[in-house]
Amino acid sequence: MDVSRRNFIKASAAAAAFAAVGGKGLNPLKPGAAEAAEGGLTWGKAPCRFCGTGCGVLVGVRDGKVVAIKGDPQAPVNKGLNCVKGYFLSKVLNGQDRLTTPLIRKDGKLTPATWDEAMTLIASKFKESIEKYGPDSVAIYGSGQWTIFEGYAASKLFKGGIGTNNIEVNARLCMASAVTGFMTTFASDEPMGCYDDLDLGDTYFLWGANMAECHPILFSRLLTNRLSNPDVKIIDFATRRTRTSLMADRYVKFKPQTDLALLNAIAYVIIRDGLHDEAFIKEHVVFKKGKENIGYGLEDKFKFADEPKGISFEEYRESLKAYTPEKVAALSGVPAETIVEMAHLYADKNRKVTTLWTMGFNQHTRGTWVNNLAYNVHLLTGKICRPGENPMSLTGQPSACGTTREVGTFTHRLPADMVVMNPEHREKTAKIWGIDPKKIPAKPTYNATEMFRALDRGDIKVIWSQVTNPFQSLPNLNRYRKGARKGEGRFVIVSDMYPTRSTEQADVVLPSASWVEKEGMFGNAERRTHQWFKMVDAPGEAKDDLWQTMELARRLGYGSLFPYQHPQREIWEEYRKFGDGQGKDLAPYDAYVESRGLRWPVVNGQETRYRYVEGYDPYVKAGEGVKFYKNKPDHYRAVIWARPYEPAPEQPDQHYPFWLCTGRVLEHWHTGTMTGRVPELKRAYPEAVCEINPDDAKKLGIKQGDLVRVSSRRGSVVLAADLNGRGKAEHGNVFVAFFDENKLINELCLDAYCPISGEPDYKKCAVKVEKAR
Amino acid sequence: MPISGVVVTCAPGHSDSVVGELASFDGVEVHGVLPDGQIVAVLEAESVDAEVSLVTRMHEISGVATVRLAYHNFEDLEQ
Repeated sequence: MDVSRRNFIKASAAAAAFAAVGGKGLNPLKPGAAEAAEGGLTWGKAPCRFCGTGCGVLVGVRDGKVVAIKGDPQAPVNKGLNCVKGYFLSKVLNGQDRLTTPLIRKDGKLTPATWDEAMTLIASKFKESIEKYGPDSVAIYGSGQWTIFEGYAASKLFKGGIGTNNIEVNARLCMASAVTGFMTTFASDEPMGCYDDLDLGDTYFLWGANMAECHPILFSRLLTNRLSNPDVKIIDFATRRTRTSLMADRYVKFKPQTDLALLNAIAYVIIRDGLHDEAFIKEHVVFKKGKENIGYGLEDKFKFADEPKGISFEEYRESLKAYTPEKVAALSGVPAETIVEMAHLYADKNRKVTTLWTMGFNQHTRGTWVNNLAYNVHLLTGKICRPGENPMSLTGQPSACGTTREVGTFTHRLPADMVVMNPEHREKTAKIWGIDPKKIPAKPTYNATEMFRALDRGDIKVIWSQVTNPFQSLPNLNRYRKGARKGEGRFVIVSDMYPTRSTEQADVVLPSASWVEKEGMFGNAERRTHQWFKMVDAPGEAKDDLWQTMELARRLGYGSLFPYQHPQREIWEEYRKFGDGQGKDLAPYDAYVESRGLRWPVVNGQETRYRYVEGYDPYVKAGEGVKFYKNKPDHYRAVIWARPYEPAPEQPDQHYPFWLCTGRVLEHWHTGTMTGRVPELKRAYPEAVCEINPDDAKKLGIKQGDLVRVSSRRGSVVLAADLNGRGKAEHGNVFVAFFDENKLINELCLDAYCPISGEPDYKKCAVKVEKAR
Repeated sequence: MPISGVVVTCAPGHSDSVVGELASFDGVEVHGVLPDGQIVAVLEAESVDAEVSLVTRMHEISGVATVRLAYHNFEDLEQ
């Protein structure tokens, strides 16, 4: 690169940064220089490949290669700036070990094969298994990284073609409790608010959410809000001190699992001190309770059905008496006066309160309950549906919402919040798919954990995993890794862009196209749907997962379900029939081509920022104010649930005295299969460490950097101890990130799950820590 | 050599000290400080590897809240 081009590019880089923060007057870019810096690049828009925030990026392509990335200045989510993961977009597609050809296991070894050989083998295994053992012996396991089209095609093939509800997604491991929380409280999935709440509120309660590392762009919006408004307060309720705690106004540490009790105590104080909004409650709320002592899903084929019962406000108030600040202080470790102070802050009439959470609530054996309890506080105070005042679950994958939740790629779900158990829903789905309604089975089969238990038992013989890494990410991993390789007719297919701990378990590996190597749509956590076009070719013979699924369909005789000339556009137009007039309205394809994403419902070309509220939501008529219009059985009201504190299934004891919490770090994303490809990343945060409290370490004779063995009843792993890293463990707790494919920490985790949502708890199990010799 | 433009957001009152520290970083040029204390800088390094480690080091400076990426050009890298 010559000096003048370098200078142009540097000026361009500075100009983009100035423009993103409104410093246009300081822009050093002279007219003409911008054009020179562009130097033959063509730019296309896409959402970022990584998390669920849904940041917009502009992708610069020259000679068929991605050569530059910009934060998209027109993208409302991130306004021209990306987090550090933006750097990884430069290399995600170009790792040295990219899979470029199908592989078939022969004599124990994965051997290159043609697409025809691979697909012939896969189709024959499906046919054989369906013939011998029935349609419920085959399964597909997808992901919140599926494009909307890929998820839709998989659901249509399995539910509408093969005739099995054996479709699940890794989103069961991260979002399922948010879904059941929304469904039980509001009878409609996904939030009423949006990211604008981050700019418009003044009081933010974060519960077990390390936003600074896991949602940096959204956290930046909070910090920018606070820079311009000194009244903004950020409260970090957590079990671990993080970068988020450092930037928050208050860090409130609590003992694992006691979030259930704390939220009840906050509700108790609000009512005791008369801070609740009586008029709002009278008009918009009903009270219910469900079953208690509901179990933990630890046994195979665990079943649970709640029995909701209406109760009065008085009965609800009575149920909270077990949660006085004093009692909950003893349980949670949070001082009683802090609980009272926080309840008053939540209820302060002059404050706009937003609650944010992510895996701390959702990966919880009482995940549905704790979501319900967060809504309770907003419903009691009437702080909901208005700008700056909403509860919101943040997401970890780029299309956990758009694909898995909205398309409904879970065993029990169909598009637009419909479920297979409901005959009218099956009827409507069958009509749009052009099939006999009897084809879609009325009974759900397995949640994600149960699906891999079924593979271990041999009830499922053939399983296809796409865009995910279950043999690194499942809890109690040892059982499921061994189960997959038991033979006896089991056949595992894995589609991915790189070799992973799951491809090594596979009988056939298929090379996948990724991100801007294909046309796609993702939906983010604020109901915003993004579209992008293909910009570069995938390497070698890699093909997108939509093609792969439709190719299997063709070979199984279900080709007529996919009669598309331009699959993406036609699938979209077919799919959006489900949400029309249901409060889940989506716009025609071209509206997404032209925009930087639109938040549904999109009615008459207009997106919706706030749901259930007059003036924003077209489904709420003038004079209605707030209306939870999806909850018809409860007369369009939301539900406040009486949900008790119940302990975690496994708690520290004398043999296993520590709580183990797992999670993410800034530099790596999930199981690290994309971020781990980038060598500099591995250097920045090369391998997982065990964060341990310095006092606990001292008692065990452990010093910084010492190798320690962390063991649970299920497995054990050796890691370096970190006493004073970026995250700081509280007394009695250890934390380990799960990205490291050489340190499979999930082997230690318990495969207990929330009986209502089926989502496992990766945040709590009992371990011991010893110096490794 | 890849080039990137970044915005550094600091805790209130920390911008001056952060700019001071950034001056000692090879490969980082501070292009300006906005009235609200946000810093615009351009990074230049031998590889994306080196760029990301610069960003990681910037994150570790006391008072730095976030480092965000506006523009990244890596057109002359072997890929």
